[in-house]
Amino acid sequence: MKYGILVDTTKCTSCEECVMACADVHNIDRQKSLREKAKNEEGLSAYRMSNIVAVSPGHFARKSCMHCLEPSCVSACLVGGITKSPEGPVVYDPTKCIGCRYCMIACPFHIPRYEWDKKIPYMAKCDMCFDRLNEGKMPACVEACPNHALKFGNRDELLKEAHDAIESQPNLYLNHIWGEKEFGGTSVIYISDVKLDKLGWPATSPVSIPSLTEPLVHTTPIIGASVAAGLLAINWTIRRRMKLASENNIEKQKESGEEGGNNE
Amino acid sequence: MNERLRIIKDILWIFALAGLIAAIFRLLFGLGATTNLSDGVPWGLWKVFNMIAGVALSTSGFTVGLLVYVLRLKQFKPYVKPAILIAFLGYGCSCMALLFDIGLPHKFWHPIFMWNINSFLFEVFWCVMLYFTVTSIELAPTIFDGLKAKKLSKLFHSVAFVAVIVGISLSSLHHSSLGSLFLVSPQRLHPLWYTPRLPLLFIISAMSGGILFLVFIKIIWAKFYNPGPVFGSSARPLTTDIKVLNGTVCSISTRRLPGPEMKTISRLAIIGVSLLSVYLILKIVDLVILGKIGLLATGSAESILYIAELAIGALLPIVLIFNKKTNKMPIPVAIAGGAAAFGLVLNRLNAGIFGYLSDAGVVYFPSLLEWALGIGVIAAAGLVFLALTEYLPIFYDKPAKLSIIHLFRGSFHSLRQTWNIVLSDGLHRITLLSVAILPIAFVLLYPAFRATKSISVMPSTGLDAQRSILKIDGNRDGYLTIFDHADHQRRMGDSASCIGCHHLALPGDHSTPCSQCHRSMYSSASIFDHEKHKVFIAGDKKYAGLVPANQSCNECHLADKPKSAEFSKKCMDCHSDDMFLTGRSEIQFSTMNAVSFTDAMHTTCMECHKKEAAKPGNENIDKCYTCHQSMNKSQGTQAQELVNK
Repeated sequence: MKYGILVDTTKCTSCEECVMACADVHNIDRQKSLREKAKNEEGLSAYRMSNIVAVSPGHFARKSCMHCLEPSCVSACLVGGITKSPEGPVVYDPTKCIGCRYCMIACPFHIPRYEWDKKIPYMAKCDMCFDRLNEGKMPACVEACPNHALKFGNRDELLKEAHDAIESQPNLYLNHIWGEKEFGGTSVIYISDVKLDKLGWPATSPVSIPSLTEPLVHTTPIIGASVAAGLLAINWTIRRRMKLASENNIEKQKESGEEGGNNE
Repeated sequence: MNERLRIIKDILWIFALAGLIAAIFRLLFGLGATTNLSDGVPWGLWKVFNMIAGVALSTSGFTVGLLVYVLRLKQFKPYVKPAILIAFLGYGCSCMALLFDIGLPHKFWHPIFMWNINSFLFEVFWCVMLYFTVTSIELAPTIFDGLKAKKLSKLFHSVAFVAVIVGISLSSLHHSSLGSLFLVSPQRLHPLWYTPRLPLLFIISAMSGGILFLVFIKIIWAKFYNPGPVFGSSARPLTTDIKVLNGTVCSISTRRLPGPEMKTISRLAIIGVSLLSVYLILKIVDLVILGKIGLLATGSAESILYIAELAIGALLPIVLIFNKKTNKMPIPVAIAGGAAAFGLVLNRLNAGIFGYLSDAGVVYFPSLLEWALGIGVIAAAGLVFLALTEYLPIFYDKPAKLSIIHLFRGSFHSLRQTWNIVLSDGLHRITLLSVAILPIAFVLLYPAFRATKSISVMPSTGLDAQRSILKIDGNRDGYLTIFDHADHQRRMGDSASCIGCHHLALPGDHSTPCSQCHRSMYSSASIFDHEKHKVFIAGDKKYAGLVPANQSCNECHLADKPKSAEFSKKCMDCHSDDMFLTGRSEIQFSTMNAVSFTDAMHTTCMECHKKEAAKPGNENIDKCYTCHQSMNKSQGTQAQELVNK
């Protein structure tokens, strides 16, 4: 859980240099990436993995994978095709994917997108430029941002920096760091001068989603075994009762037939 | 084979064939092209209706097993075989639909080897796979008996009890886990359906719905194949004429008494409905505990769906079955069973599709191909069901024997006759085929509801803060024109040159974007607000009176001429000082229409470009790809360089 990105929405001017850099790094045609913006409100698609969203008039923020510390998609994927790497990024492995699209249901931020126009489609989402990180470079969007609205670094240091920024300019920033606690914390954190509801942050509920489901999943073998045991027990009791009942009947018949019979 | 049954089989065949065609299309063209799924609604008809609801309807396989083998209620023994068959076919067709629903069908086996024990879907996959095997084992003796393979049949008989126990525990796991699937989206699923008790609600509703669905199937099957034991003997006359003393004839209808099997059927239904009432109470208590009961009164689409789901799927069957008058009659019991099954399906659709729509902000209606495949798979399962129940002793100890010759072959007598006699000529046959096939192919390829709408224009955006380079893309389809505004301005002669291209700004404005008036991409748009002008002019004190609006017409329109745009003042007559006709004086605002955005852009740029092309060294400047960079690959890279700058 080392790395993270700090997004300062007060510095974002919506130039979309980060989006274009993202397209270049992931070998997506820039024109195609531009075209995807109009397709839905959030402007994200398999060919546009990050987007600038107008969170309120005149205020912009980068929307992309938040790289949760306890990601819902990682817990949901049935083949384990999505993993939270120790460096911080949540990484997708297309060789495992079967295309069930459960990650798209599970993500609270609507981040995973699907290549609907392809015959052999895969999921696509921001991977915090995992390959570049391994080469010792920064994520492409951070490098491209001309106004330093995106900052890459150690998540703990970024958090400290965010707290410092809010303390030093309490009139500018709202006293909240989005991603510090929400859904168990995210690697991408936001500070802002307006509310960021449009990015999908919850109003309340800082609980991580895997903490809702994983304890339940882990009880299933116990439930299954106990159901089977319970069924056998019920069946055994009923059988025994029936047997006893029929034995009693025989006994009575015997008793009526030959007096003082010796039975077990 | 009676006539109605034959027609039903023919219809099932048509649906099944349509499903087959849809399946081929799905494999040929891919998932996105053949379905209406989108990033907002990733799970559609196939997954929620066929898989989740289909599996829920097939629960009778384990509930009846529970009643007969574990609780030893011998009276339900005749229902074990049909229940197992329903479970087998239900799971079979769910898995089949799922195979086409996943994006990469050739990788469906991955979860067998690649595990993620934290995932509910992983658990569901394994349980469904194992349970499908279990139902096959349970069904095997019946099949092998039919094939007269006694040894194999005995082998499977010996493991029957183990299979039942394993089957019940597997079912108890995955039916609840299907509910748990939706626990991952507390923020997205509508609060009426999202509750931490989803798994409990799912398994109870599935158990009750499954039993009632079995009751429904039993009665419907009996209606066509063997009405006697269920509906009572039809030999009894329905009306009796009684001669009354004075000679008149009264006709008294005597109620047909239901058959002997109705007793067990209604007992089975009562068990199902008891579970259903537990479900209803749980559901309402759950709403009250979570404090969401008020949501029902909001009148939103979700609340209506929720009430419909409970009213049809729970209240109606409860009323019909707990009523002593109706629960012995076959038809009300069948209605109750059908309603419960419908309610169960609606519940699954609500939790899986409708509950997500308000969050996703998109509307989802399955495409024609989705319907075709979704229904086709069920129709195929129905055909197999009819065939097996006809050929094997499923419902009774002896097979129905009604149509062993026909099996489940649909008989298209009339069609065959037409084909052989009327259309004996080859050309006729080809004509008929093309008449039938072409429209279907056309409809399948071009769904009508994907028609285009009029496209509104959005203003061009600047690539930088000074707007020196503009991205002109009126309809935002991505085929944009990168326009170097600063460069043009410099070459044409700085601020004096504005009037070379720009022509008009609205009253009180200095830089109206073109898209303000040229607001439709391909058609002209009316820009004159008559009502606003009328109100403004009539408000003048000069026209005080009862109806000032009527007298104010002549202010703009000529008094003795028709009141049309042709004979009225021009805009600039009044607006000469507050509206800026900055140049291009050849444009007279005689009409109240602004031409389409494409026309406006083209006329503005092209006249000048054509003139410039005559000069040496500028030969290509009047070509389309000069501005539409996406039309030319080498030019496209130039555009990218511009964007990079």
